[in-house]
Order: sequence, then C-alpha cells, then structure tokens
Amino acid sequence: MNNTFILFCQREWQLLFRNTSNLVQPLCFFVIIALLFPFSLPLENELLQRIGGGIIWVSAVLAILMSLESMFRADFNDGALEQWLIHPRSLPLAMLAKVFAHWCATGLILALFSPILCLAFRIPAEQIWVLFLGLIIGTPSLSLIGAIGAALTVTLHRGGVLLAIIILPLYIPILIFGAGMITQSYSGAAIYSQLYALLAILALAITLAPFAIAGALRTTIE
Amino acid sequence: MNILSSIWKAVSRGFHRLGSPREFYTISNYLTPVFGALFLVLSLIGSYYALFVAPADYQQGDSYRILFVHVPSAWLSLFIYVVMASAAAIGLVWRMKMAFVVAICSAPIGAAFTSLALATGSLWGAPIWGTWWEWDARLTSELILLFLYFGVMALYYAFEERRTAERAMAVLAVVGVVIVPIIHFSVEWWSSLHQGATVFREGGPAMPPSMLTPLIYMALGFTFFYGYILFLRARNMVLSNERKSKWVRALLQPQTLQPQGLPSKILQAESGKEGTQ
Repeated sequence: MNNTFILFCQREWQLLFRNTSNLVQPLCFFVIIALLFPFSLPLENELLQRIGGGIIWVSAVLAILMSLESMFRADFNDGALEQWLIHPRSLPLAMLAKVFAHWCATGLILALFSPILCLAFRIPAEQIWVLFLGLIIGTPSLSLIGAIGAALTVTLHRGGVLLAIIILPLYIPILIFGAGMITQSYSGAAIYSQLYALLAILALAITLAPFAIAGALRTTIE
Repeated sequence: MNILSSIWKAVSRGFHRLGSPREFYTISNYLTPVFGALFLVLSLIGSYYALFVAPADYQQGDSYRILFVHVPSAWLSLFIYVVMASAAAIGLVWRMKMAFVVAICSAPIGAAFTSLALATGSLWGAPIWGTWWEWDARLTSELILLFLYFGVMALYYAFEERRTAERAMAVLAVVGVVIVPIIHFSVEWWSSLHQGATVFREGGPAMPPSMLTPLIYMALGFTFFYGYILFLRARNMVLSNERKSKWVRALLQPQTLQPQGLPSKILQAESGKEGTQ
C-alpha cells in the first residue's frame, strides 16, 4: 500500500521538478493576481492591511485553480492515465499521491511565499503566521476538491472555464474559514474555531476525495 | 415477516419497472396528468387562502404575502437538489438509465426555483429590510446553490457523448451534496438578518394556522408542479434518448400514435426484452 503512494509521489515529483515552469508559473500567477488588487483600490495602507489576507487567499484559490487544469492532461494525452485505470494498484491511493505531489508544487510553494506578499500588504507579523498556517492547512483541501473537477473535465478540450464554474462554489467554505481566521486574529479574537473547521474539511477531503477522483476518472475515461 | 417481505418485493418490482425507459413512459402517461391536476387544485386553493383568507401581517401589511411563493420555491430549491443527487447516486450505483434522466431533468427546474426564491426574496427584502441584497447566510447559501446547479448543467452539456455526460454530472451532483451542508455551515458565519426557522422548529410552527394552511397548500402544489414538469421533461428525454429503439419508432409512427399508453401489441412484442434494460 505504502509502495503505491511512494512510487507515485516519486514519479510526480520527478516530472514536476524536471520542468521548473511547473513550479514557477502558479507562483507568478499568484503574486500577479494579488498585486492587481492594490491597483484597483484606493491607496490606503490601513485598508490594504485589513483586506490583504482575503486578497492573498483569493489569489491562492485562483492560482491553484489554474494549475488544476493541466493536472491530468499530460497523463491523459500520453495514455498513462488509462494504464492506471486498468492496473490492479489502488487507484484512490495513487490519486492521493498525485494530489499530494501537486500540492507540494503549488499550495506549499504559495504558502511559503505568502509572507513576502504579506509584507507588501503591510500585514503585521502575527497575522502573517495565521495566514501561513491557514494556507498550509487549507490548500491541500483545495487541491483535493479541485482534482475531482480536473478528473471530470480531463477529456474536454476547453475544460478551463467549466472547471472554474464547477469547482469555485465548492471552494467557498475553505475561503470563508481561511480568510475568517485572519479577520478574527486581526480583531484580537481566538482563531481556533476556524482552524478546527479547516482541519475538519481537510480530514474529510483526504478520506473522501481520492475515491471521488478515482470514480470521476473511471467515469470520464472509458 | 411475510407481509414485510412481500411489501419489499412489490416496492422493488415497482422500482425496477420505473427503471426501464419504456415502462416509465407508459406509467408516466397516467401519472403526468394526475400531478398536473394536483398542482392546479392545490395551488388554486392555496392562492385563494393566501390572497383572500389569510389576514394581513400586523407589521408588514400585505407585502408579506409574497411568502406564499418565496417559501415553497426555497423549499423546492433544496428538495430538488436532494432528489437530483439521490437519483444521480442511484444511477451511478445501479447503472439505471431512468435515474440519470431524472437527475438531469431536475437540474434546470431546481435552478429555476432557486432563481425564483432569490428574486422573490429580493423583492420582499426591498420594502421590509430596506435592501435588495444582504450578505446573509441563507441568501448567500441560496446563491451558491444556484451556482452548483449551473455547474452540474454546464458539465452535462459540455460532453458530446450522453453516457459520459450523465455519469460525470452524477459524480458532481453527489460530490455537491456532501459539500452543501459544509457550505451552509460555513456561510452561517455571518450574523443572520434573515429570520430563523419558523415552520419546522421545536414547539410547533410560530405562525398562525390561517397563514400556515395556505403555505402548506402552496408548498404541496409547487412540489406537484415540480413532479409534473419533471415528468414532461423526462418523457421528452426518454423519447430522444431511445429514439432508435423499436418501441419509440412504433410509438412515433402516425398510425400507431394513440393518446393514452402504448398499443398492447407493442408491449407484448417487447416484453421479452425487459432484462436487457
């Protein structure tokens, strides 16, 4: 069982790290989206400070959404996906590994880079930690839920907009709790309730999403 | 035990019969007008009571009467989503053709009722709350529900092959029904301007019977309306899906076209094929 997970992680990491653009593109997208907001808002430090956390969360959601479209695309085009489907290995476990590798290349990197963006928005150090923690816990759920949508749209030629329509509504709870954590911490209150909610969503996503991804792949690829 | 098992057998036989498109088409011949008539009668009675018998609200005057459309639509927006997701799950598990048809035909109706609930709520909110839109838990959940419906429909129409489309749509509907409670819970975060539960709550409904009665009539009438439209849509879809099968061809030939049910000869000719559905 562990063997499948490790094998798939190794494979995905090799593929991701051999082509650096896989790692750089979501990060660039994330930073550019976040930097678009100050241009469209009145230039008040206090305002930016207050809404910066939410902006960074929205940017992270969009960056992950963009990266999801290509998640299964290459494997589908070269036929690897069909091989996994007929292989006796546990498909949900393999998909969990794939999503984990994908998260390492997107969500984790975004979370690691977010403190620098926080400085641009003049977010105080305390909230930087809260935001970082929220992103580390929240983005794996984003990848897991998004992978269901990616699996459903993998055979479609222009699945990008469709993917956004079907996945973004499902992201709302994570966004609410993630951004709520920062608002809460900003007003000096405890952040535990949101933190626990994010952890609960993550636990649910880890246990259920791999099966949904596997089911979605079996549905769309026949 | 014997009674229970025979009831179970009857139910499962009925279920399996409904699962075959041809049987569904025959049965729906009789059920569709019944649903339509029930809708008409119940909603007419409900409208009469709602508009003429129910007293005006002591605070809101007559403007509260939009409630008799708003609440049934809101109820149906959720009910239809549950029906759609259950049908989708049944279709995925038992590979039942009709379940997919029910799920797909429900989605646009559900989206329509969700829009209606949002629109009537907005119209009601303008004079009473003084705002067309409020970022309140129920309003926002309802809006997200509308987008979930749109997503399900968009996914279905994106595929060219019907079999793939209906199964992909079913997976999304089932995933959605797992996430809907989480969305609702998370959205309840904001302080709620919307009034709390009035009808289903501990200690009975907080509403005088003169207002509750028409509301129940309207809710039932709307539900039958959903059933009626669902049958009409599903019958159309069955005909289009099965247009190459023998019974639809026979049905659509002018000389065999009859207002009620299928000609008995065709039923007999096709009865040997039931196992293949």
